[in-house]
Amino acid sequence: MADSADRQAELESELRALSPALKLPPAADVTGTVRQRLQTRQARGRRGIPETGVLPRWRRLRVAVIAAAALLLLLAVTPQGRAAISHVLRFDGIELHQGPGPAPVPAPSGGASVPGRASLPGSRPMSVAQARRHVGFPVLAPASLGQPSKVVVADRGRVVSLIYGRTPYGPVRLDEFDGHLSLTLFMKFVVMSNVTEVWVNGEKGLWITGPQELIYIRRDGTPARASAEFTTGSTLIWGTRRVAVRMEGSFGETAALAIARSAR
Amino acid sequence: MLIRRAIDDAEAIARSRDGDLDAYAVLVARYTSRAHRAAYLLGAGEDADDVVQDAFVKAFRHLSRFRAGEPFGPWLLRIVANETKNLIRSRRRRDALVMRLSALETEVPAADSPADEVLAGERRVRLLAAISGLPDSERQVLVCRFFLDLSETETAQVLRWPVGSVKSRTWRALNRLRGLIASGEQDRVFNG
Repeated sequence: MADSADRQAELESELRALSPALKLPPAADVTGTVRQRLQTRQARGRRGIPETGVLPRWRRLRVAVIAAAALLLLLAVTPQGRAAISHVLRFDGIELHQGPGPAPVPAPSGGASVPGRASLPGSRPMSVAQARRHVGFPVLAPASLGQPSKVVVADRGRVVSLIYGRTPYGPVRLDEFDGHLSLTLFMKFVVMSNVTEVWVNGEKGLWITGPQELIYIRRDGTPARASAEFTTGSTLIWGTRRVAVRMEGSFGETAALAIARSAR
Repeated sequence: MLIRRAIDDAEAIARSRDGDLDAYAVLVARYTSRAHRAAYLLGAGEDADDVVQDAFVKAFRHLSRFRAGEPFGPWLLRIVANETKNLIRSRRRRDALVMRLSALETEVPAADSPADEVLAGERRVRLLAAISGLPDSERQVLVCRFFLDLSETETAQVLRWPVGSVKSRTWRALNRLRGLIASGEQDRVFNG
């Protein structure tokens, strides 16, 4: 029985490892269509028009005309500002929002908010080798930065952080996680005009300059407020099919891309 | 116009309930790819985008039944799973589902890769084929537990089964899978 349970557990971890290898077509952006359908519904609701049920053709036509008119009216009266929050840029488990986020929580020790501060829930320091055994995705370590001064596995193996205390670009921090399940792990507050698209080893990435606020999103979708911190430098986000990486430091784009390319 | 601040799930849901479509758009953006993965793997295949769209429209209508404080993901996936089920029922062809699962990455290794890598690749292909061949309920439970990374409780919620059925069907599915792979491996030993 114990043997059977062992083999069962082995197969379970094999299936989990298989998960990122599944090839799925990209999801279509349905935000606009869903909004349009709901707007039509809301407009109908206001006019007391039943949502379903068979109507004679002339009535259906009239309903369509009324719905279209109501939609136009709604578009005309909706204040511009209210439409704005729907603009969210998603990339590899990171959600980018325009503008300043909530006020950052001061570091508990009173220390400065530097990229070396471990601020994710359930953080456990360990070696790179241990971290690699501990998580379900490959951990990328940039060869050009040498050995990390600190490695932290957070939230029961959900995120691995590599911290390089001394580099030519000041402290550099990498947060790595399994990008394939399309969960949101981080929220970032940025100035959208500071975001540019880059290519790293044939995969799309994002280069974001300037300080950004960062919030960690727990497994249940709630933000870990204590993790809110200002990143001091710039950030490069990129990934492979198995792992997504967020790397911050006081480097320029060329240096950041070179470091990313040296990641093994 | 700039975004002043981001909102978390709880606030987005509360505002959506009051009919705020902008707040709902945040949830749609946040959960589209997760919903799409679920719909695709639970059997919607190429129709996954349509399922996702319908599920979001339906979810908005049912937001009043959402209990505050509960995670949004599994609640939404329950609707996605149900929409997928309806879609499959309305399809005439039963073979479509199998085709979708066989469209998975097979990771054919290069000719000069080490032997164990070739073996691992072969085993993956065999595993996937075996999963596609499982009875519907057993395949669904494996998809939820291991390809959508849902807990047993969340899987129960999404598939609308008791937790006990999730446990027993997972066990049965893994056993059957092991049997299918073992017989495949034996063939290979005898032939090779």
